Amino acid sequence: MTLKKIVETYGTFLAGIVLFLFLIAFAPNFASTANLLNVLKQVSFLSILAFGFTFALISSELDLSFANVCSLSAVVIGFLISTEVAWPLAIVAGLATGIAAGLLNGFLVTVLKVPSLISTLGTASVANGLAFMITGGVAFVGRWDPDFLYLGRGKIGPVPVIILFTLAIFAVALVLSTQTRTGVHIQATGENEEAARRSGINTRGCKVLALTLSGLAAGLTAVFLVANLSSAAPQMAGDFMLNGIAATLLGMTMFTPAKANILGSFVGALIIVMLSNGLVLLGAQYYIQDIMLGIIIIASVAVSASVLKRAAFAL
Amino acid sequence: MKKFNALIAAAGLAGALAAGQAGAFELGVVAFQMSAETQARCANTVGAEAEKLGWTTQVLNSNGALETHASQLDNLIQKGVDGMILCMSKPVQFDAQFLAAKEAGIPVITISSGASPHTLFDVTPNEYVMASEAAVYLLGSMNFEGNVLLQKFESNTGARIRGEVTDVVLKENPQVKVLGEHSMARTKSWQDDVRNGMSALILQNAGNFQGIWASFDGQALIIDDILRESGLKKGDVSLVSIDGGQEVFARIKDPESMMTATVAIPFEDMAAKSVDMMKQIAVDGKDKADLVPGPYLFIPATLVDKTNVDQFLK
Repeated sequence: MTLKKIVETYGTFLAGIVLFLFLIAFAPNFASTANLLNVLKQVSFLSILAFGFTFALISSELDLSFANVCSLSAVVIGFLISTEVAWPLAIVAGLATGIAAGLLNGFLVTVLKVPSLISTLGTASVANGLAFMITGGVAFVGRWDPDFLYLGRGKIGPVPVIILFTLAIFAVALVLSTQTRTGVHIQATGENEEAARRSGINTRGCKVLALTLSGLAAGLTAVFLVANLSSAAPQMAGDFMLNGIAATLLGMTMFTPAKANILGSFVGALIIVMLSNGLVLLGAQYYIQDIMLGIIIIASVAVSASVLKRAAFAL
Repeated sequence: MKKFNALIAAAGLAGALAAGQAGAFELGVVAFQMSAETQARCANTVGAEAEKLGWTTQVLNSNGALETHASQLDNLIQKGVDGMILCMSKPVQFDAQFLAAKEAGIPVITISSGASPHTLFDVTPNEYVMASEAAVYLLGSMNFEGNVLLQKFESNTGARIRGEVTDVVLKENPQVKVLGEHSMARTKSWQDDVRNGMSALILQNAGNFQGIWASFDGQALIIDDILRESGLKKGDVSLVSIDGGQEVFARIKDPESMMTATVAIPFEDMAAKSVDMMKQIAVDGKDKADLVPGPYLFIPATLVDKTNVDQFLK
């Protein structure tokens, strides 16, 4: 492997390691066990959403609805819990909401042939409206069942349980995308849909599945968000939109350059959260974080532009 | 080589930052949504007052996102700040973070957030008192008869209380009718939401209303613009709200504006009081109970109209 190839494949990952070492050296308390666990907990929400967006991108489709669908799922969970429905049922309803939104996106893209860039924006708007309809704009807040809150706030020893859930979801997503026939078919569909179809792959089914996985990821994130914050608000996942896309784009610059990949998205999310945490520990003011995130997005888009263009403009 | 030099420079900057922080009292300041002027005033004043004491301050903005706010609190706790002052936070949602701060020995004072068993106290005006003053003033300016439009905001506790108190005042004065009300739903693009909703109501009820109540001044400023664009003149409609600020005071004075009165919350005083209290408790070692016996430190707010606006204009 040439040096150029190594830089192309592992450059961002190595930059992440340099950032990690930099923060260990200069950011007070960054390397403490409690803070590293804190970083991993914070990366959980973002990475699960990014996994979903990654599946959509692997199939060469965009899902710009995942943040709003996540908020809608959260509101559904919050509504049911606040009306004293058993929390396991509320979780099922929240996940079902995410899956339904993903299926809707899949239907719009594969049956009605609406470009995903537009159809998922439409779904995002519908989800946003439904979330406000359910809440009336007022967040569901309460001191809910501790067993439910344990999902977001609980710990096993010093380790937040949400980290364990995230690692499990990461493992499943990684295996599904790289080690299963379904994952290979989704990748083939994303790389050359016509060739994949001619070789007997159900490309429509792959796209529907990819978008549904994105919806499921939004539903899963909603469960952890609601359990972590003991509340559900109509735009509670709004901030994850930009960060989720940034994590995935950053992931496209490593391991399999210019291709969305689960491992890359996880490391991308980790870099973003690590940077955010490190800037706080270094004493940076709030606007520096937004500036840094913008720079990361621009840089990662510049590197991974080809695949993104294909996904965005395959109209 | 250039990249290496840049890295060295960044490392030097980080080192200088860390060295500069050593020794001084370190205060973390977090505002939930700094695009709201009141929260920006609150957070910026806390930062400025703390710096006057020689403290190291770090101001963070959660951009109105719950999870961002939680992460920022967690990060500041891990950083080991000496104290935190939070503007418009949410005690129930961030109960876990407040508890973690308490367990880490970090004193937390909140401003206009609500009480928590894990914080020292909440510095706040009494929303019920302010809301009743604004509502009664509005009706008084209409001689307790006629029609009004209402602009509400349900998802903020303080603004919701203001709306509910206004409903009570209106219920007791049935000769004043509510022709229509709009509730602001979106928080990130709230200006657009208010403009669209109130434009529709004002057009629909043109010439039939004598008063407009808005749950906070940011909304009132937008409504004032719409009324002016509609060709209305000062005195045609009474526009009353709550919060205060130089732009609102200027409009109360402005002969072209419909802005009639506001209840001015002294955010700067509240912020300064928070810093002073943090110093007395966390630095001077005074007992919290001697300074603030309960969970709230109430700060009085003042109704401002044309008769006293000059005292507030800078």
